Amino acid sequence: MATTTERDDDTSEGGPLESWTNGVLKDEAKRQRLYRALFWTACGFFLVTTLFPFYWLLVLALTPNNRILTGDWSLPVIGVEFPHPQGFNPVAFVEVFQVVPFHYFVFNSFVLATTTTIIVLVIATLAGYVFGRLEFPGRGALMLGILVISYFPPAAFLIPLFDAFLGNPVVVPFLGIELFSPPRLVNTPGSMIMPFSALFLPLAIFILTTFYAQIPDGLEDAARVEGTTRLGALVRVIMPLSAPGIATAAVLTFISVYNEYFFSSIMALENNPENWSPLVGGILSYQTQYTTDFNLMAAASIVGVLPVVILVIIAQERIVSGLTAGALKE
Amino acid sequence: MARVTLDHVTKRYEDVVAVNDMNLDIKDGEFVCLVGPSGCGKSTTMETIAGLTKPTEGTIHIGDTDVTRLPPKDRGVAMVFQNIALFPHMDVYENISFGLRLRNYDKEEIDRRVDEAADVVQLEGMLDREPNELSGGQQQRVAIARAIVRNPDVFLMDEPLANLDAKLRVHMRTELQRLHKELDTTIIYVTHDQAEAMTMSDRIAVLNAGELQQIDPPLVCYNEPTNRFVAGFIGSPSMNFVEGNVVENGVETDNFEVGFDPAGIPSLAVGDQVSLGIRPEDVYLVDQIEDPDAPHLTDRIDVRTDVLEPMGDEIFVYLLLEEDQETSMEDQGMAGQLLMSVTPDTEIEGDEDVDVVLDRSKIHLFDTATGEALAHGVADLTGIGSEPAAGEVESDS
Repeated sequence: MATTTERDDDTSEGGPLESWTNGVLKDEAKRQRLYRALFWTACGFFLVTTLFPFYWLLVLALTPNNRILTGDWSLPVIGVEFPHPQGFNPVAFVEVFQVVPFHYFVFNSFVLATTTTIIVLVIATLAGYVFGRLEFPGRGALMLGILVISYFPPAAFLIPLFDAFLGNPVVVPFLGIELFSPPRLVNTPGSMIMPFSALFLPLAIFILTTFYAQIPDGLEDAARVEGTTRLGALVRVIMPLSAPGIATAAVLTFISVYNEYFFSSIMALENNPENWSPLVGGILSYQTQYTTDFNLMAAASIVGVLPVVILVIIAQERIVSGLTAGALKE
Repeated sequence: MARVTLDHVTKRYEDVVAVNDMNLDIKDGEFVCLVGPSGCGKSTTMETIAGLTKPTEGTIHIGDTDVTRLPPKDRGVAMVFQNIALFPHMDVYENISFGLRLRNYDKEEIDRRVDEAADVVQLEGMLDREPNELSGGQQQRVAIARAIVRNPDVFLMDEPLANLDAKLRVHMRTELQRLHKELDTTIIYVTHDQAEAMTMSDRIAVLNAGELQQIDPPLVCYNEPTNRFVAGFIGSPSMNFVEGNVVENGVETDNFEVGFDPAGIPSLAVGDQVSLGIRPEDVYLVDQIEDPDAPHLTDRIDVRTDVLEPMGDEIFVYLLLEEDQETSMEDQGMAGQLLMSVTPDTEIEGDEDVDVVLDRSKIHLFDTATGEALAHGVADLTGIGSEPAAGEVESDS
């Protein structure tokens, strides 16, 4: 009872919290200050959580390998353990390419990601046009089918695909009659690009369907009367106006394939660049049976991330410019 | 320039018939308006001509070519859309030259033609603007320039003025007429605004429920509508309809009679149900005309005024035919009610008992069951019937 009275007294007198709250509610300047403080807090939180791993990678890359496990990680004065460079060894970024032909691994991933992105965009654009702009019986069922397939765990496809890509002859069950021998695709880009394209298509189709569906019918009709075919209208009018959607689908597909390791680690029978082993395979190859070059793995990770960072920066500009230019008014 | 022929064109969407057995023959250089209420199939008809929709049955010819199965780009048509449909990612020049660039014209030829087209629609100096920097009227002019730049055989305009404000619409209406005179191209124009249709077109095609009702010059549609739908649709405010029965010496309605000799109309027999149609401007206040007993006028009709709508240049007066009728709002439609237009200096008030007469030469008769027009003007059919009519006038007054 006493405490409630006390609290009541506090509020009626206007304790520090109440007076501050009142100030925020009534004073525009104070409110703005609070909003700014909240904004920077949230911003700082996201910056720290996203950038701290990179900082850690950088610390590991610059620290000589023998001191990574043996070094003293407590900070000089405070004594708290916190990642900080234990020496300065920038040569790691050069060694990355000397110990393993890392640039080949990057090249592999880049080629796989680019090819997959192109295939996915072409097919998803056509599919998105059909689903987004045409009325036909069974459209809902087909869309649902794609959605269902996109929820399948990729691992479910692994064994049959691996078997198919090995080039073993196809045999009629029970009868043992050999039908034909498919080409042996393991260790080639085909064995990776095909499953990747299939796996990342549904998402791209969904993104592009929603974007294409929003383009007013009148614009397509106008283009067709002016002299394009349906496909021409798609390329000349609908796609340019859906640039943000295409950029989103492309970036998502590219990054997913660039970072992919599950399929490629199996489809490339050995972890070397000639077998189209990807970036992650390259990073793992600094690990041998007896030694693990943590500093090189960290340096390689940083090097491998750079192309994606550049891509995202470029694409982001496109997305922003696409959004501001494509103010669709019908 | 070309003539456009639709031959038994039908368009079905699953179980909906959008256009039913449409036959149209539009001459070279003609300005034809397709009018009708929403959903009457006028836009679908237009789309089948443009090639954006394929007809379920029937053929379409532009000039001598059967274009029924041709894609829109090979039909030699240009179209202006209701929603303007400028490409937002191209500036005015690129929008206008879009069709020419697709056809790989020389750069110089394109420039010359774009300048010419921009000149016609008065868009000089705006070629490097973006569509969203233009006003509604300017955007519409760009759309028209995009259509004329290719010298199409046929212009299709799908409610091009519907999204403009009223003042601009009237302005663009005259611009379009000027353009038609200048280009002398076949223009097919879809609108639900019958004022646009009346003012601009050589002929009006009135559509309802996917079927062609009448195609005639505007004044013919106005003065001699083929059926009750056309009569009600053309003209604003629309025609009054009063249900009646054919009797020995004319038509009898619940409240008044119109005298004439029914024998003058072959398809009419005594006892038939007819709708009597009269336009608001053909209803006269007895006080206002010099000779209320003139032979072409009907007997006096006792009415009470209801609501007045002063329009400035005229006043629309709602007249109640029934003595005990409370207000016209209770009735759905026009039953028991007449609309009259009078000059603005008329001294008239709501809730006043007045006498009106109808101009018998402007009365239309329609078959109530089918809506088909039976006669336009019954004054000439009077014959002997004029004498008793005059007598009744005296007895009424």
